[in-house]
Amino acid sequence: MAAPMALRRELFSIGRVLSRVSHLGPRALGACSPHIKCYKIRSLLPLAPSTSFHTATVLPSTPSPITVTEEPDALFQRVSVLVKGHDRAVLDSYEIFATMAANELGITQNKVYEPPKDMERLTLLKSIHIFKDHRVQYEMRTHYRCIELSYITGCTAQVYLEYIQRNLPEGVAMEVTKTAMEKVPDHIKEPMWEEQPVDDKPSQ
Amino acid sequence: MAAASLSTRSAMLLSALARSGSLCSPSGSRALHVTAVCCKNHAARVRVGKGDKPVTYDQALPPHYIGHRKGWLSQHTSNLKGEGGAAERTIEDVFIRRFMFGTFHGCLANEIVIKRRGNLLTVCALMLQRLPPMKFYFLIGYTETLLSHLYKCPVKLEIQTLQHKTVYKYL
Repeated sequence: MAAPMALRRELFSIGRVLSRVSHLGPRALGACSPHIKCYKIRSLLPLAPSTSFHTATVLPSTPSPITVTEEPDALFQRVSVLVKGHDRAVLDSYEIFATMAANELGITQNKVYEPPKDMERLTLLKSIHIFKDHRVQYEMRTHYRCIELSYITGCTAQVYLEYIQRNLPEGVAMEVTKTAMEKVPDHIKEPMWEEQPVDDKPSQ
Repeated sequence: MAAASLSTRSAMLLSALARSGSLCSPSGSRALHVTAVCCKNHAARVRVGKGDKPVTYDQALPPHYIGHRKGWLSQHTSNLKGEGGAAERTIEDVFIRRFMFGTFHGCLANEIVIKRRGNLLTVCALMLQRLPPMKFYFLIGYTETLLSHLYKCPVKLEIQTLQHKTVYKYL
């Protein structure tokens, strides 16, 4: 699956390189003889202080078609999105992005807060052999951010969560907790003793 | 071994002094502080020399500045609380670094940054302009194809080239 895409990317990059070389070609050919063409092109190219290679191509993805179904949409009382990361600054910017997206879609936010960070500490021996008194300590910090959305429909939740998840930065993990609302079943809506007052008790 | 004997001798000295100290001067006490061979921290640090060794920003800062003045070279979620797969990611990272070091021999300007987003593995590297661009393109395509076949996930390389290594200071 990766092979055809990689081949396509290579073809694109080769195609782009050829087009670049060909647009420089006529100028270089006029200046020198063909057998040392490549070196001449290289010296004519302005060696920029920093250049980047055009290899990253956007993988095309077909958008999912809109479906209309008869069954009623799921309703969520609360959808809580917990993001975890090592860097607090990354989580700050992600929170700004997520709250902006929610405001644009018209989703009500219950609260946006920061749970206290967790630190996992390890104490190891500093030396590979003996020297038990000399240790070295490492710690891994996990920062959290929680965004709670209230009273949201299933479709809106799906769209919002997909958008949020596609733009998750690297090194950040997300946990989503959904609290759904269901209609009270009919058989427990009314108390039983009010429905059938006419029943004669057989024990009487 | 010598350190162990030194520590036992120092312990005997200390205890002797303490006993003598408690007998003669109850108000103050003098003690002899001796440690075994104190191992200095050498991890990820470049030792200060004569001033002729060029060093990049990443190499110049010691590891206790990670998160404060330094960034992370490898970004994935397996070291967070409640997430797994840390060992596999570390082995993949080590292999990718050695592979890049060998494939682009002598062209790397700085350490490689590895980012993981979902299934996608992005390798970001700074290179020196030592090879002609055609060879660079070939090596990039070769690396991407080989690594994506090895790890069964899409691998993308983001390369930027420089003329010389950026030097932060001379140590």
